[in-house]
Amino acid sequence: MSIIKSLLKMRKKKEYPVQIEEAAVAGPDLKSMNLEQLKEKVKAEFGSTVDLSMDELKTEGKDALLIYLTTMIDTKLLKETILQSISGKEDGFKLTTEDDLKSLCKGKFGGAGYQLIGSFDEIITSLLYGNIIILFKDMEKALSLSMAIGEDRSITEPSTQTVIRGPKDGFVESINTNVSLLRRRIKNRNLRFEKFIIGSETNTFVYIGYMEGTANEKIVGEVRKRLGQIKVNAIFESGNIEELIADKSATPFPLALNTERPDAVASNLLEGKIAILVDGTPFVLVVPAVLVDFFSIAEDYYQNFMMGSFLRIIRYLSFMIALITPSLYVGILTFHHELLPTPLLLGIIAQREGVPFPAVIEVLLMEVTFEILREAGVRMPRAVGQTVSIVGALVIGQAAAEAGIISNIMVIIVAIPAIANFVSPTYSFAAAARLLRFLLIIVSAFLGLYGVLIVLVFIVAHLSSLRSFGVPYLSPVAPFLIEQQKDVFFRFPIWSMRKRPAYLKTQNPEKFPKTGSPSPPPMKGDQSN
Amino acid sequence: MLKENISLSQLLTLLINFLLGSAIVVGVGGDAKKDAWIAIAASIMFGFGIMLFYYFLISRVPGKNLYELMEIGFKRPLAIIFSNIYSVYFLYLASRVVRDFGELIASAILPSTPIEIISLTICLLMAYILYLGLEVLGRTSEIFTPYLFGFLFLLTILLFASGNANLHEIKPVLGDGLKPVLNALFPTLIVFPFGELIAFTLILPVVTNFKYCLRVSLLGVAIAGALLLFAMFLMIVTLGADALLRSNFPMLSSAREVSIGNFIERIDALVVFIMMLGILVKGSVFMFAGLKGLEYTFRLPYRYFSLPVAMIVSAYSVLISVNFGDHWQEGLEMVPYFLHLPMQFGLPSLLLIAVLWKKRKKKAKPGTKGMKF
Repeated sequence: MSIIKSLLKMRKKKEYPVQIEEAAVAGPDLKSMNLEQLKEKVKAEFGSTVDLSMDELKTEGKDALLIYLTTMIDTKLLKETILQSISGKEDGFKLTTEDDLKSLCKGKFGGAGYQLIGSFDEIITSLLYGNIIILFKDMEKALSLSMAIGEDRSITEPSTQTVIRGPKDGFVESINTNVSLLRRRIKNRNLRFEKFIIGSETNTFVYIGYMEGTANEKIVGEVRKRLGQIKVNAIFESGNIEELIADKSATPFPLALNTERPDAVASNLLEGKIAILVDGTPFVLVVPAVLVDFFSIAEDYYQNFMMGSFLRIIRYLSFMIALITPSLYVGILTFHHELLPTPLLLGIIAQREGVPFPAVIEVLLMEVTFEILREAGVRMPRAVGQTVSIVGALVIGQAAAEAGIISNIMVIIVAIPAIANFVSPTYSFAAAARLLRFLLIIVSAFLGLYGVLIVLVFIVAHLSSLRSFGVPYLSPVAPFLIEQQKDVFFRFPIWSMRKRPAYLKTQNPEKFPKTGSPSPPPMKGDQSN
Repeated sequence: MLKENISLSQLLTLLINFLLGSAIVVGVGGDAKKDAWIAIAASIMFGFGIMLFYYFLISRVPGKNLYELMEIGFKRPLAIIFSNIYSVYFLYLASRVVRDFGELIASAILPSTPIEIISLTICLLMAYILYLGLEVLGRTSEIFTPYLFGFLFLLTILLFASGNANLHEIKPVLGDGLKPVLNALFPTLIVFPFGELIAFTLILPVVTNFKYCLRVSLLGVAIAGALLLFAMFLMIVTLGADALLRSNFPMLSSAREVSIGNFIERIDALVVFIMMLGILVKGSVFMFAGLKGLEYTFRLPYRYFSLPVAMIVSAYSVLISVNFGDHWQEGLEMVPYFLHLPMQFGLPSLLLIAVLWKKRKKKAKPGTKGMKF
């Protein structure tokens, strides 16, 4: 029951906060115009677009006008249900007052999500959202019925953030499907979704989802405020939203988590975070995001906690490798030969004998080449994929070394961070390492390891100044919260992680009552006492 | 002005890094030779006393820092003069710290890089951190402190594993009597590093949980003192007393002794990392203390001053002395007597008396009896 109730509640919340304001300001009354005038006006609004359809019909003894955009609605559904039920068959029923219209709607479209709307602007927006409009002669209200077309990409496995063990469904482009994926995971009356319409020209649907009674009201309010303040003309992807609501945009680090996985979003919602769904993209934002979120994935919790912890440490390690390997190579080869054991140093120097470049040029050359290859790999048409991989492997790998442009060890120095970079579960976070790597290489060419340290401290200082919706980006490490350490570098067994993140200041800090670790039933001999 | 707070754990790590800071770079108490560790152990006791004194001073009026206390004690015009003197003092100390570090880098890992570049880069970094605020400084030090412990631990293991540490070096204990120990203790070891805690009179008032402030500060002094003691012990057993006295950067020299299986050699970089963090925190805390003085005088947020002041510190770190010997001598013979003693104990004592007097007068007015501290 509660599911239906909450579903209904969600329906009711489908207000158009922005739209209502506008309608109140400039909405010509319907009463003042007759059907012909209205028809002309709608035509004037849409111009000569091909998909506007306006049919005149007579129902309940009254002239009416049916308007819809043929490309936005399900015409089959329109034929089947509406036209059959509306073409007057009942005798003695006269549609004269607004009450008559209401009772007609109640009788025929109850449960179909009808709306009675009274202003011209609302008619236009409803048409754009895929509703049909029926205007009756001499009536103050028009009938609007949702009949949006239901054709979407089917739910498939997400192409990013794949897992070995775990659910294989991913978000799709349709926002309603995405909401239902979340609803099906959290069957709870407290799960709320609120609707926003953002983009003055695209009018994109944006939902925020959160757990009432768990999520911090202040953060929810802040999300609402920031979404309400967006004044751009177009929103096409959650990345647009992310950039517009971030606390700070001059940073390479993402301040909102994006994911294609419903299970990840669901677990984050239960932690007390807030999801932002954008129509037209499978990537859902989760805010507030802290740095450790980008290193933990849903699969950590689906497998043995030791393995989960181990993989998490591997992820941190790979981030560091991706970040500093090339600059360490440059720094050590340029300034600190003594740090390498002599045999290794001799090997490297012998290899570099024929190389005409200093280490930094060598590294930059290879790094840029690799970045080009990588970009080509993403953008190229699938049909020529083979070419790029063959050319890339040959050129970058063997040929460059044999031609004496680079040393053999250089191949390793480029390959290790490249592989390590792919470990990062969130693409946007790995991008930060990709960018900062170049800064590190250049500084270490001038200042050696000292420069690397300086830049690392600089990065850490920058990270500790970041906030995501008021939450310090490095929490729970700095500021240090001892009780949160169960889910940072290690993943403790699930029964021991009872607390929600304290840095979110959730209304309900405990997830579940205290339970011990699972234990076997007492042995036979023990039963005596 | 923006209100900022730091947590107790951040205070703790700031204290530890601050006290280790340049003390671990240049090595303290070397005058006592083999018994330097005894001098350090004794100085920790004084460290507690000094911390208690500053805490007592600050807790007279909750939430007010040193400069605001001066206003209460001496009225604003005089307080402005004193706060400017303190600003100069703190910025001078910051320059000294940066110079220590510059010399370390220039002589140990980047011999052909001019010291100006080193001090410019580290000062730019400090300016950036302070521009972001005290909170960021606290968090940065919080992040790096575990690595500090890790590296120190690793260094110990490696030194002992490579067989360089010779515990016999510590004997004879007190071979030359108590005198060298006392000489090392008074006043050098007391004013440096423990007396420099005066800079924390600007930080203690913004700690979120002031109740536990004293406990945490004393814990910080204890941990830092123990680490200093341990580091000194390590240096003595690795280098021996003579090499210790001759070495400019004894910690670095002892790290160079490490050699295991011809593979782990020259781990100077690790040690430089330990030192750099300490220097960074110490320099930033001094610079923060100086900036706070400017903030008090000009009533502008201190962030505005961070870059120009950092550049001044950077320039002066090079200009204060002609070479390392000069710098060293100045630090040992002039600064403790003419700067540290009056600024760390003289003025604060005066201030304490003035504040107590004012408070007593205020209390006496409504006719309450007695004075309670």
